[in-house]
Amino acid sequence: MFYLIGLGLGDAKDITVKGLEIIKKCDKVYLEAYTSILTVGKESLEEFYGCPLLLADRELCESTIDTILLEAKNKDIALLVVGDPLGATTHTDMLLRAKEFGVKIQIVHNASIMNAVSCCGLQLYNFGETVSIPFWTETWKPDSFFPKIVGNYLRNLHTLCLLDIKVKEPTDESLTKKIRQYMDPKFMTVAEAAKQLVQIIENNPDAGIDKNCLAVGLSRVGADDQRITVMSLQEMQECALGPPLHSLVIPAPNLHPLELDYLTQYRQ
Amino acid sequence: MGNTQRTTLRSILDTQTVVNNAKFVFKIYYARNRTRRLCVNFTVDEIRVMMDKKRNIRNMSVIAHVDHGKSTLTDSLVSKAGIIANARAGETRFTDTRKDEQDRCITIKSTAISMYFELEEKDLVFITNPDQREKSEKGFLINLIDSPGHVDFSSEVTAALRVTDGALVVVDCVSGVCVQTETVLRQAIAERIKPILFMNKMDRALLELQLESEELYQTFQRIVENVNVIIATYSDDSGPMGEVRVDPSKGSVGFGSGLHGWAFTLKQFSEMYADKFKIDLVKLMNRLWGENFFNAQTKKWAKQKDADNKRSFCMYVLDPIYKVFDAIMNFRKEEIDGLLKKLGVTIKHEDADKDGKALLKVVMRSWLPAGEALLQMIAIHLPSPVVAQKYRMEMLYEGPHDDEAALGIKNCDPEAPLMMYVSKMVPTSDKGRFYAFGRVFSGKVITGMKARIMGPNFQPGKKEDLYEKTIQRTILMMGRYVEAIEDVPSGNICGLVGVDQFLVKTGTITTYKNAHNMKVMKFSVSPVVRIAVEPKNPADLPKLVEGLKRLAKSDPMVQCINEESGEHIVAGAGELHLEICLKDLEEDHACIPIKKSDPVVSYRETVSEESDQMCLSKSPNKHNRLFMKAQPMPDGLPEDIDDGKVNPRDDFKTRARYLTDKYEYDVTEARKIWCFGPEGTGPNIMVDCSKGVQYLNEIKDSVVAGFQWAAKEGVMAEENLRGVRFNIYDVTLHTDAIHRGGGQIIPTTRRCLYACLLTAQPRLMEPVYLCEIQCPEVAVGGIYGVLNRRRGHVFEESQVAGTPMFVVKAYLPVNESFGFTADLRSNTGGQAFPQCVFDHWQILPGDPCEAGSKPFVVVQETRKRKGLKEGLPDLSQYLDKFLHVYLKNQKTRGKWIFREHYFSKIR
Repeated sequence: MFYLIGLGLGDAKDITVKGLEIIKKCDKVYLEAYTSILTVGKESLEEFYGCPLLLADRELCESTIDTILLEAKNKDIALLVVGDPLGATTHTDMLLRAKEFGVKIQIVHNASIMNAVSCCGLQLYNFGETVSIPFWTETWKPDSFFPKIVGNYLRNLHTLCLLDIKVKEPTDESLTKKIRQYMDPKFMTVAEAAKQLVQIIENNPDAGIDKNCLAVGLSRVGADDQRITVMSLQEMQECALGPPLHSLVIPAPNLHPLELDYLTQYRQ
Repeated sequence: MGNTQRTTLRSILDTQTVVNNAKFVFKIYYARNRTRRLCVNFTVDEIRVMMDKKRNIRNMSVIAHVDHGKSTLTDSLVSKAGIIANARAGETRFTDTRKDEQDRCITIKSTAISMYFELEEKDLVFITNPDQREKSEKGFLINLIDSPGHVDFSSEVTAALRVTDGALVVVDCVSGVCVQTETVLRQAIAERIKPILFMNKMDRALLELQLESEELYQTFQRIVENVNVIIATYSDDSGPMGEVRVDPSKGSVGFGSGLHGWAFTLKQFSEMYADKFKIDLVKLMNRLWGENFFNAQTKKWAKQKDADNKRSFCMYVLDPIYKVFDAIMNFRKEEIDGLLKKLGVTIKHEDADKDGKALLKVVMRSWLPAGEALLQMIAIHLPSPVVAQKYRMEMLYEGPHDDEAALGIKNCDPEAPLMMYVSKMVPTSDKGRFYAFGRVFSGKVITGMKARIMGPNFQPGKKEDLYEKTIQRTILMMGRYVEAIEDVPSGNICGLVGVDQFLVKTGTITTYKNAHNMKVMKFSVSPVVRIAVEPKNPADLPKLVEGLKRLAKSDPMVQCINEESGEHIVAGAGELHLEICLKDLEEDHACIPIKKSDPVVSYRETVSEESDQMCLSKSPNKHNRLFMKAQPMPDGLPEDIDDGKVNPRDDFKTRARYLTDKYEYDVTEARKIWCFGPEGTGPNIMVDCSKGVQYLNEIKDSVVAGFQWAAKEGVMAEENLRGVRFNIYDVTLHTDAIHRGGGQIIPTTRRCLYACLLTAQPRLMEPVYLCEIQCPEVAVGGIYGVLNRRRGHVFEESQVAGTPMFVVKAYLPVNESFGFTADLRSNTGGQAFPQCVFDHWQILPGDPCEAGSKPFVVVQETRKRKGLKEGLPDLSQYLDKFLHVYLKNQKTRGKWIFREHYFSKIR
């Protein structure tokens, strides 16, 4: 049996009772460590769950998952995923492959930033398409997420922007070599995301969105020290929200009065 | 290296003067006869004044086939007009020259030779273009660059051509136009270098071969035609350079003997007769060449040969020379005296008792001094930088043709921003340091100025391969002397100190911050032979690495590659070139004993059919899918790309038009060539054949990176690809940019391209030499035997007109060329000597996937050497499975319309 278990957003204790029970009976437990991170380290998870965890990086999950799946034919194996297991789209392929191999699967859901974002007071019903903002490099500056933000904005919908995280990503130079070298882990802050957005807006002055529009910055949602702040996108470029993970919301232009009231308390 | 090969090499070196040239070093010339030497002493300040008279500068190179007498000819020029730069006036250095140093060339680490020459008033009228001469200035500063004749070193010639505007092409009139003459001349024309021609070794034609005058005329005529055919193939008279053809009647062809120190053009002879005939000089020059016959009885000119008339060239030019030769060589004393009086030649006292060949030399030299005739030809017919840079700018500059740098180059403007091209590095006496040698095309390079030093990988607006540094010192490089000079203006050649640490081999130096690079030089030879090196003592590895860096700098073409496996590779044009490089490496650069592998050839991978299926590869996260196919390029296209006729910098519409007209490419597809590779310029392309794919532009860079990688390391043996066109038919992508970054797309592109190659009947290509062998008739049989054993194939065999010598031309796989020279000599009694130059790539017959075939063996050997897994690459590693429905549809419809299939799956 292959289990995909969501860990929620905060710390070790956010796991569901059902999830914890499954972990306890599993032969092997992997912790997926590249789509998101918890505020606590692997050690404190091991202590709380009472079993050793194997780290599963991108290469393991994408390229060599087959061996794990085959093993799951006869054993109980769990893969722990921060947030909701299917929040990160990349795990669906794993399920398809499990089915191909005839491995039984079970999914244990949990909270995800996709729903927890409503902690800032914006109604989930009014969110449009979610986008991710990738780190720009010298040569690679994609902006295809921007038309989606604008699209949401013009239809009076909020946009949740997930910010890039790089945990054990190969460097660009080593991608075309046989020996892989990895970048230091880095996590995008709301300030960095705002800077990239402002740059795009400046390049597209007629896009229908202004750099003085409202922006909501969230950090460590679900943890005890979670922070939420509301200011203009322009000001957001200088905003420091502490350690990762960060998320950014571009609210719709016309807000429900209740949403406005709720947001106001985070106004800087 | 085996013992036999070593001896061959030594014997090659002994028989030629190329050794010294091979190190690229230039020579200082000592006159054979000191008393005759006209030496020009200049202070640096005086030279500096000449440098400002840009219309009176001639930058030229001397090019020739090996052994055609280039060096002796250069001797006579330098002895006539060589400048000795003299910092302290009054002290002449040539007097230091000891007797035993005379008559021999000393290799020194320097570059060009400068000469000063004044034209007489009457000759100045031949210069009609106002940009060819400053008003009221008769003196000309001639910078001559000597370059080696052996084909293995033609990359040195390329470097020399780049900094010059004109070329003196020397051809041995006995052997005619040879392979190296052609290669170099072709290169010169492509660089827009104007040629003049000199027929050397006339003394041999007269003394050894005893040719009749009409026969000799025919020989000359044939050489002129051969040269003009080559010129016409690569340029035409209506082009920007104007008339490029050489024409004896215009005075752009010289005749003579470098060895004996005499030369003439038709201008010299016309001058002798113009007064007598009362005919205009220019008109007479026209009469003295070609189908012009004169009847001495009737005093009438005719256009046809008749019984009683004679070809004017034979009558007025050759006959007097024949008479002199005849009288002197047959010791007819009275006749000689009479002739000398007629010619106006007086014999100096010390030469009075000479006779035979020695006397002949003295007489010919004072009657038709070689220096005078050649220098006149150079000053009159070769372009000044002002003239040349006007049409060379578009060939030299990569940037827009109307920016400040382009205009500066075009106008050769010393007040414009600095643009200098560094064409090579010259070793200094300080080990490991180099002078950067090059030409200032625009502005001035000044000691102590701040400048941008841009390597060949620099791209405008980026910081890669760019340094902003101070030019430590500007120097004049003349003969062995290096003199500091304050500044050097446009149109001149100079050296720089302190730049070597920022450039590998070549580069652009500028003060203009938006400047693009000057174009990189194209070499006519490729580094197709490689040797792996390692230190005998493993602890010396750092010294080897440092030595390899220096070697790479000191030779324009040699490649020093550090493989990922830790192997150090030195790649060169041929066995001789490599041997010299490795000798330098061992003795000068690394100074440690080195272990060398056997030479191996680089191969190319290609395909022979279109991929037999649509190849799909999925990214690691499975959300991105690429659909591609490979197909061979049409014949000729890879060569067009090599030659730069089709290149990544062209306007895409012009390029598409060319590809459509010549290769019947679909015009819309041809407009969407994403890139060339490897290295962004190689002979493989990636074509976007998709329609309406969202976000395609965002992954373009990643696909290109993956393509460059695959083109550099092919699927069979990780050799470069050649002549493969990849088509992208469709792409499906994750909607979110994060999930389609380089990490997902680059490896996937490579896998997909590998699958394309494996499904398109992969083949190997091997490099092939064009091999020219001169030998007497008896040796021809031996040559055939050797060539047959080495998979060579003769395609031309001809007798050199008027001689018993034969020329055999053959194609010889480079892989079979190791030890070829030794083999050939031993089979022909040492009478045959080959010149091999890389010519083309040829498919190695057989399927590399079929165990036991020749290419299979090569692939396995190469894989083993590179430390790759032995055996054949496995298609299933690269090709991902299609959806079921897809395959079914493919069978019934036989057409690829992707979207539809996906929908049908969902339905």
